[in-house]
Amino acid sequence: MGDEVYINGDAARIQEEDFSIEVEVNALREVSKRIGGIVSFLGCARDFSEGRDVSSISFEQYADMAKGAMQALRTEALERFDIVEARLVHRVTTVHAGDQIVLIVVGAEHRSPAFDACRWLIGELKQRVPVWKKEVTPEGESWVVQHP
Amino acid sequence: MIRVLLFGMLADMAGERELEVPGKESMTLADILDHLQRLFPTMNDAMFLLAVNQQQTSDMNTTISNGDEVAIMPPFSGG
Repeated sequence: MGDEVYINGDAARIQEEDFSIEVEVNALREVSKRIGGIVSFLGCARDFSEGRDVSSISFEQYADMAKGAMQALRTEALERFDIVEARLVHRVTTVHAGDQIVLIVVGAEHRSPAFDACRWLIGELKQRVPVWKKEVTPEGESWVVQHP
Repeated sequence: MIRVLLFGMLADMAGERELEVPGKESMTLADILDHLQRLFPTMNDAMFLLAVNQQQTSDMNTTISNGDEVAIMPPFSGG
């Protein structure tokens, strides 16, 4: 693996810039050779919402709380599930259709806890990390109400 | 002073993202909310979450002191 895995080394973080799935997976694999299964969730920007075209999405965060919430989620996942490592990255910037927004990567000895932890992490992230999205549509801007 | 932060649609409704509220003795989170809802009546109909010093809470009896940071937040919509 290349040195790039050590760039942006925080395992749970919020950032403006785009992320690389390969870099995050490599960083996760670097943690342990016990990992036998890796599950990821990638959230991307859609070009529609609630029946309207969406030209861009802007994110706002409560930065002082959001970083801690991301790190607490990772720690809790490592305690609740039989997994080896988890990485979470959320972008807070303006994105357009197809752009990457959020990535969860979980590594475990076996696939089942990796799937469970990944699903739990994205669900809890939506509930517990203070980030808000505003969609820009031809009709104007509107704050998004949480989707299930 | 108590630093009060507003986010998302609540900040838009209030036309403010940050304000300061003078601290008083035995002040609680409920007192801060009463103060804000008098300043910004449109907030009365809004759903929101609360945090004190970056820790989410729903306990309206939480004591608030000078130097504390109170966040009034719409339901989160990240991910």
